[in-house]
Amino acid sequence: MTDVALSCPQCSQPVAGDDAFCENCGAQLTATAVAAPTGPAQEPPAEPRAAAVRSVCVECGGVVADDGFCSVCGKKAPSPRDHWKETPADWVGGVCDKGIVHARNEDAMALAALTDRSLAVLVVCDGVTSAPDSDRAALAAARIACSTLAGSSLPTNTGVAGTVSHWSAAITRACLDANSAAVGVARSLGNPSEPPSCTFVAAVLDGDVVTLGWCGDSRAYWLPDDGDAVQLMLDHSLGTELIQGGMTVAEAAADPTFHTITRWLGADSVDSTPEIASMQLRAAGWLLLCSDGLWNYASPASSLQLLVREQVEMGHAAPVAIADALVRFANGQGGHDNITAALARYEPSLR
Amino acid sequence: MAEFKAEVFQNEYLADGATDAHAVVSVSCSGAGKAGVSGEAAEIIIIDTSGSMDMPPTKIAAARRAARVAVGEIVDGTWFAIVSGHSIAQMVYPPHAGMAKMTATTRAEALTAIDRVRSGGATAIGSWIQAATELFGQVSAAQRHAILLTDGKIEGEPPGALAQALVDARGKFQCDCRGIGEDWVVEELREISTALMGTVDIVAKPEDLEADFEAMMQAAMSRGVADARLRIWTPQGSQVLFVRQVAPTVEDLTNTGVQTGPLVREFPTGAWSDESRDYHVAVRVPVAGIGNERLAARVELVVNDEVQAKSLVKAVWTADTDLTTRIDPAVAHYTGQVKLADTIQKGLAAKAAGDDRTATVLLGEAAKLAHDSGNENTTRLLEKVVDVVDVETGTVRLKREVEKSDEMALDTRSTKTTRIRREP
Repeated sequence: MTDVALSCPQCSQPVAGDDAFCENCGAQLTATAVAAPTGPAQEPPAEPRAAAVRSVCVECGGVVADDGFCSVCGKKAPSPRDHWKETPADWVGGVCDKGIVHARNEDAMALAALTDRSLAVLVVCDGVTSAPDSDRAALAAARIACSTLAGSSLPTNTGVAGTVSHWSAAITRACLDANSAAVGVARSLGNPSEPPSCTFVAAVLDGDVVTLGWCGDSRAYWLPDDGDAVQLMLDHSLGTELIQGGMTVAEAAADPTFHTITRWLGADSVDSTPEIASMQLRAAGWLLLCSDGLWNYASPASSLQLLVREQVEMGHAAPVAIADALVRFANGQGGHDNITAALARYEPSLR
Repeated sequence: MAEFKAEVFQNEYLADGATDAHAVVSVSCSGAGKAGVSGEAAEIIIIDTSGSMDMPPTKIAAARRAARVAVGEIVDGTWFAIVSGHSIAQMVYPPHAGMAKMTATTRAEALTAIDRVRSGGATAIGSWIQAATELFGQVSAAQRHAILLTDGKIEGEPPGALAQALVDARGKFQCDCRGIGEDWVVEELREISTALMGTVDIVAKPEDLEADFEAMMQAAMSRGVADARLRIWTPQGSQVLFVRQVAPTVEDLTNTGVQTGPLVREFPTGAWSDESRDYHVAVRVPVAGIGNERLAARVELVVNDEVQAKSLVKAVWTADTDLTTRIDPAVAHYTGQVKLADTIQKGLAAKAAGDDRTATVLLGEAAKLAHDSGNENTTRLLEKVVDVVDVETGTVRLKREVEKSDEMALDTRSTKTTRIRREP
């Protein structure tokens, strides 16, 4: 990967891509806060949201003190790492949120898109809570995978097969880069016995072809406006193995090992090769990538399709607005885990 | 230059609907230097010279020796005065109503003057405190400290004289109080030491007085930070339940706070040497939903309006009962130590009132608390007043023959806490 000059949105000092905090002023850094590369289209960096939320309390309007708490009501100013949005183009957007119950947001996402709707890259990683500092591993992994994919060359072979084979190779490379980034976080922490680790799902929408790769149980769905919605992959989890062994989904979900993942990224990963899948899109709809913080409350593709359809009927057209609604839905169900939802809109007529 | 550090110990997790945040803030100071380095220092030694100090005459002789030793410890350049207290306050040195700068000459003059002190008259402690306040008012010293020695209870001045004198003296100087013998009243001296941010103790035997005065004055001279305050911010709509110093001794500071901003109160802590003190802060905050994080208090150590150290007391609401049911060990320990001091004082009061049944129950409870928290000094003092039958259940018997001085020692030292053993 080529070096991209990144700077802190608060003090403008240079920072490294996988830094969680600015070395100079201590500001927390996020994918939006640092001007992450947003793809070949050279999108302008997102507005420095971090600086804005630090100054005024979201609850009472009081001044937020240097220690990050409101000087009037004491409310903790939301850290940009706890909740952020990305909108690399008007047809691609996502929201990454701490949820309600967890103390930290260990989910991460990184999105890139061309404004002409010809290419979108979506990456979602979910840090493994039982391993400390997995939030850092997830963010580093998602960012590097996205920039690897966004910076790679476009397919030279035409046709669906050529496109799929090109992006399959690119996603496999990006996943290996993401794994190296997660291992790098472990190394920077002195190789803890429980190394930080995360799931991985990346999708490239190139024209009408979706190619995706994943490790773990962060998911990708195709939710057409009309017709049957589909889950594009199967989790690498003991839950999947139980179902494949003959259990019903309901029986498997009740098993305590249901969420135990069998493939992940990080220093203790035994297999960080992504499983690959692809699909050619034929009708308008939504490509959704999400963490289990969302699908725990709406696992069937048809349920998610319904939720998205409700938003569209309420007049929401922007992917980021729908992602936001999905996050609010999950928080309304209890927000027991971190929640990430990233969407890309596909419409054949607009190509 | 003095350096302060503040460290907070708390379980910040609150259950749904819970409102009270408890924390122990441990403040330590290093590099304090000597008294007088940050502005001038002033010392007054007040010796009880009432008629009873001659009964036996070893008391007044010991007081003279102790005063001499204390004068020897006062560093050159310090303002000082020695006051003889009886029906009125009388200057021993300097001869006029004022303070002298410590030099080789004034030190020699003061020692000679001390030798001329004679006893006679009543015990009017209020007037002595009043005199000290006036003397300190004549110098511009940043650090003002007094030692007060008495052997009797107040008589020879109207009731309320002491209370009035303390109102005037509060914040003007710190005062360490010592009672010699068994005829003084613990309550009276504790009232003074609490109001004037000093220590109180018993010196049962006259021969121990010299060493005690030496240690007290050495401690005073090692306080290079003249005046520090605990500044506590709490959020809008909250209520400070209490602010207590819990180590090395229990001192309730709750009502000493001065409002310095809409959400800020400052609590005087007096002068500091190289030492550490622990504070238990309890704040009732407006309830917030699960998943919310709020600051319950900013606790800052402030010297000359400059923040030297800061720590944050937080409140995080969660549904995870594993987190919310934990009690921080430091908070639990000091809650127990405060209860221990309170139980001892109530137990001794019951005993004094002839209610042996209540006294037995309370002192038994105290014996168990002291044992469970590893407070060996208090255990030792308790064992001079009660026979412990079973420490696990807190069963004790009141001793039939108790030295009054042992009871007084237990009472005065009941507020001394042990520190929690912190794992490295």
